Amino acid sequence: MRPQSDTYAPGPPRAGGSRREPAGGSRREAADGRPGGPARTAGVVLAGGRSTRMGRPKAGLEWHGSTLLHRIAGIVGRATSGPVVIVRAPGQELPQLPPEVRVVEDAREGRGPLQGLAAGLTAVASEAELAYVSSTDVPLLHPAFVAWVLGAAQREEVDVALPVAHGFRHPLAAAYRTSLLADVDELIALDRMRPAFLFERCRVRELDEQELLRNGALARADPDLLSLMNVNDPGEYERARARAAPAVTVRRFGTLAQAAGREPLALRAATLAAAAAAAGVSLDRHVVAALNGEQITRDPEFPLAAGDTVAFLAADAGG
Amino acid sequence: MKAGGAPGGYFGRALIVDVTDGSTETLDLPSSVLRGCIGGAGLGAWLMHQLAPARVDPLAPEAPLAFVFSPLVGTPLTTSAKFAVVSKSPLTGLLNDALASSHFAIAGKLTGNDALVIRGACAQPSVLLIDGEGARIEPAGELWGLPAAEAEARLRKRHGPAWRVAAIGPAGERLVRYATVSHDGRHAGRGGLGAVLGGKQLKAVAVRSAGGKAPLADPGAVLAAARDLRARSFGPATAKYRELGTLANLLSFNAISTLPTRNFQAAAFDEAPRLAAEELHELRHVARDYCASCSIGCEHIYRAPGGKQARVEYENVFALGPLCGVSDPDSVLAASARCDELGVDTISAGGTIAWAMECAERGLIDAPWLRFGDAASMLRALEEIGAREGLGDLLAEGSRRAGAAVGGGAEAFAPQVKGLELPGYEPRTLQAMALGLAVNARGADHNRSGAYEADLSGDLDRLTGGERHAAAAIETEDRAAIMDSLILCKFLRGVFEDPFPDWAELLAPVTGWDVTGDELRRTARRIVVAKRLYNLREGWTRAEDWLPERFLGEPLELSSGREATLSPERLRGMIDSYYERRGLAADGRPLPDTQAELSLNLFAVR
Repeated sequence: MRPQSDTYAPGPPRAGGSRREPAGGSRREAADGRPGGPARTAGVVLAGGRSTRMGRPKAGLEWHGSTLLHRIAGIVGRATSGPVVIVRAPGQELPQLPPEVRVVEDAREGRGPLQGLAAGLTAVASEAELAYVSSTDVPLLHPAFVAWVLGAAQREEVDVALPVAHGFRHPLAAAYRTSLLADVDELIALDRMRPAFLFERCRVRELDEQELLRNGALARADPDLLSLMNVNDPGEYERARARAAPAVTVRRFGTLAQAAGREPLALRAATLAAAAAAAGVSLDRHVVAALNGEQITRDPEFPLAAGDTVAFLAADAGG
Repeated sequence: MKAGGAPGGYFGRALIVDVTDGSTETLDLPSSVLRGCIGGAGLGAWLMHQLAPARVDPLAPEAPLAFVFSPLVGTPLTTSAKFAVVSKSPLTGLLNDALASSHFAIAGKLTGNDALVIRGACAQPSVLLIDGEGARIEPAGELWGLPAAEAEARLRKRHGPAWRVAAIGPAGERLVRYATVSHDGRHAGRGGLGAVLGGKQLKAVAVRSAGGKAPLADPGAVLAAARDLRARSFGPATAKYRELGTLANLLSFNAISTLPTRNFQAAAFDEAPRLAAEELHELRHVARDYCASCSIGCEHIYRAPGGKQARVEYENVFALGPLCGVSDPDSVLAASARCDELGVDTISAGGTIAWAMECAERGLIDAPWLRFGDAASMLRALEEIGAREGLGDLLAEGSRRAGAAVGGGAEAFAPQVKGLELPGYEPRTLQAMALGLAVNARGADHNRSGAYEADLSGDLDRLTGGERHAAAAIETEDRAAIMDSLILCKFLRGVFEDPFPDWAELLAPVTGWDVTGDELRRTARRIVVAKRLYNLREGWTRAEDWLPERFLGEPLELSSGREATLSPERLRGMIDSYYERRGLAADGRPLPDTQAELSLNLFAVR
């Protein structure tokens, strides 16, 4: 279980949304761990890179009123059922994160993704069979992408589901079986620090563009596979940032509805706060939002993605 | 007027009337009892421990029924004009308290009593009148068969407007096990208290102020607190209730798959928009009404067919609409108004009819005329229940008893816990609430367990119940125990930032007690466990803390296409956690440490 307070105290809103089942992909009854059921999935976000070309830490880059790391942690969290873990460099400062996200440190700084993978898998291995591993610098990552890649690893019963698109393999946008931890540790001990060495010794399923887009939800939400687009320098970041925010649908209920006939609203928003502002809803303790009819949240920085439907409701459901 | 040494806000006594012969006695209420139970539901639990014979048949003459007031009644604190009706439930066979509001509370307390207890039975249909001169019984044959509101109006016309009346409708007279007691159009609705009065052949209880109030310990401080609370009651925390009323839930719940539909076979109803507050408010809203001493005004009155008007609540519309698959607003409003006239709980009526519709579809009962979505058949079933005719005689027993009678697997989808039909909160998509519904002493109920608040707060995963859900269920149950004992309306709860200390600050200047938030937390736990203790005495076993098989075996499809499930293992885990946190043994009995900490010996029969 992720570390959470075991008390409940309604009152002022806490930042952060609730944990829940994944937004896309399989039907599941994960917490009961029934044999034959879908695998428990976790998220690992590597935040410890040096950001040399960017010139400043990518984790804290502004993203529509949030930060890049907050967004990626939130997007990965939306598509996984278990914990989300951030792997940072020793002592690295991070922006504010959703409260349920955990932070672990690389054992040694600057040794690359395999070192981060080891730290991340260690943190989640007891709670999940599969982990989606992401870099921080993919601002257009869509939850449907995460769900599809994780689903592929499970369906194909492989150790790694590895997207291959735009002419590259994407080991930091891939699903890994957490039981690979021993292999990862061994490679680190041998100083064989490239992901390719790991792929040589396990079952890898490469997912090309055509296969990725076979998933209808992903094809609709991200037809150009921008989920894989890294921003490595200020120019790439500025161009990505200049794109329009995701197209979402907003519905307001009860006293929040302004007038009959104006629902739903089609608008662009990258966060819950932006959607609320655009819909004229004051996101205070008397209001909650339901995402796609399921997850309830009050986190202003909760990341929205293309195709989402946000319902704003009165927090008081007494009847 | 006041018993010597009674705390502020109390008279320190209960009046017990035996309606068999009209005799009365006074029961002194010691300060330790008042401080330990407060009033309302808490004091009602104590009275039942003291006065109800063990294993009594709730419909027998010996079964007591109490109207219980509270120290806040009669103060200027907003929403405090409330009373609890408490007895053993003919529907659940367990302790039941149901609350209602308005002038009956004030006049009833001003008879000079903190509670009015009725036992015995009349030889003929009668009315009980209580004022400063005592109690008297009058024959009421001409009122028998009337709707409660009409009986109320006639009694006030006959005796004068200073009299306030709580009455039963035809359903109570005919011992429908979910009949209500109503006053001024508001119902002490759940658990069949109207049938208890019906069993005593008591059409109504009328009360009139004797004049003298119970003095407050610090009237100036109470007035200041009342002004502050009133101001806060106009804020955003109550906007929903003021502007649209509880029916605002309907479309919201539909959007998040928590709107029980077709006897809990679905949790979203395609035609919900036809019944939405946002829609009906524009077209049918007639007026907004307030209980006595209330500054919120949550009651929204809509036009119903036949020139009638109906007070519209979410629970009425959910139960007589989506739960029965009915989407025609005229029919739902007509059914709601008819429930009021007959004096039946809309939730249990709708739940039992919806269950019967499913039975009919499955061929388990011979009622081919009864179908989901068929409004006329719903209205017919309601009439038959009120008259206890035809199929209605079975349905008047509630879905648990009816399920047992029908057999053939019909019990598995009877929408009840402990015999009480579920309110409009789908347990599979509100899993803290699933626990609250399973363990509450009254049965499946949203007023004694508000765990849905946690589910809908965003602070926990509503689709995956666990430890935190158990903590949330306990917290909200404890809060309800205090609000139901003070008594304050739950629609105020959003204005209290730190509820237990806030409530202590209201109670202290009324009573003169140095009461704290911590003390009230302990009081809450005491009241919750005391109700369970009563139930244990009546034969309750742990097996009754459970949900119907439907919720544990059938996945629920969400609008996203995924499924919500609640496995027996998960529910059992949450219940285990609940017991542990409540200090209960595996069989539900309070552990010795719990008994000592909560001073449960207060409830020992004296």
